[in-house]
Amino acid sequence: MPRSSLLVELDDGALARRIAETGAAPDSAAEAELYRRLAPRVRLYGLRHLRDLQAAADLVQQVLLMTLERLRAGKVRDPESIASFVLGSCRMTVLEMRRGTRRREALLETWSDAAEPCEAPEQEALDPHRLAGCLEALSERERSVVVLTFFADRQADEVASELAISGGNVRVIRHRALGRLRKCMGGGEEVQ
Amino acid sequence: MTCRSPVALDALVAYWLGELPQEREAALEEHLFGCTQCTGQLEELAALATGVRATVLDGKVSMVVSEPFVDAMKDAGLSVREYQVEPGGSVNCTIGTNDDGVISRIRAPLAGVQRLDVVRMLGASGPEERLTDVPFDADSGGLVIVPSAAWLKAMPAFTMRMRLIAVNDAGEKQLAEYTFNHSPS
Repeated sequence: MPRSSLLVELDDGALARRIAETGAAPDSAAEAELYRRLAPRVRLYGLRHLRDLQAAADLVQQVLLMTLERLRAGKVRDPESIASFVLGSCRMTVLEMRRGTRRREALLETWSDAAEPCEAPEQEALDPHRLAGCLEALSERERSVVVLTFFADRQADEVASELAISGGNVRVIRHRALGRLRKCMGGGEEVQ
Repeated sequence: MTCRSPVALDALVAYWLGELPQEREAALEEHLFGCTQCTGQLEELAALATGVRATVLDGKVSMVVSEPFVDAMKDAGLSVREYQVEPGGSVNCTIGTNDDGVISRIRAPLAGVQRLDVVRMLGASGPEERLTDVPFDADSGGLVIVPSAAWLKAMPAFTMRMRLIAVNDAGEKQLAEYTFNHSPS
């Protein structure tokens, strides 16, 4: 579905209010725009808290379809604060997933009849050859810290204990290495 | 829309790794959910983390790691071939077509070492390559080196000599030498 420039210019709250005001006759363009905009935020929340691509994708579907249904039904008290509403829904759903009180399949089944307004944009993958080259260009210490950190999402203090250096030292090396990596990949300033 | 108070990269990294106190994490999430620009920064960081993981899984990077990292590689389902070499020793090594990686445990007397460099030379007269200031844990009694599996698989038979050099304010001292005799599988 092509994006309307008018909708793109609306902020999240105005977009949510527009969906809420249409009621029983859904504004599919507005819904698609809101979904496209919020999906990356929900997916990142899911990845951060669930550390699982499929679980994060399920969270996006569950939370956003439920949000759209509630907006249409006028059950979101303050559409202007739609971002907070979605964050709250993410927190509740992840808690339920973790507690195992509702299985993921059951969560999805709840909204299986709701039409998905658009595909959530996928996370753009980095050029693997370029990234390998950028990693090789780091110093030995920087590469070790980056790899130990991001291979299994480990905190500075854990990495520090494995390399027999301080957590503060790991943070400094990590900061410098990420700056270099981002510059090498063309996405940011190198950190001195 | 431009963010009036963009979140610093360090804070995003700390958030991603779960290093922030609960209250600060909650406040940062409130900001992220209302901010396309900062979400974009976090997406970039997440893509980098995913890319680093994929690069390691594909064996496209060489690195000095820790024993817990070797466990993490195995937990991730990687098939790793492991070698250990003592000071002055040599080892015949290879990488199989089904191997995802090779681990070389280089035993060395590291007590009291301030900085450690690794010098390696391919073949009998190849140019020397010096890796400066490699990370190490003196108490572990050695280094764990993971060469790029993709590179190893592409290599014909070769001999690599490796020297560990301790560096301090007074100068440098060779700790030990090792020989790796690689043959393709």
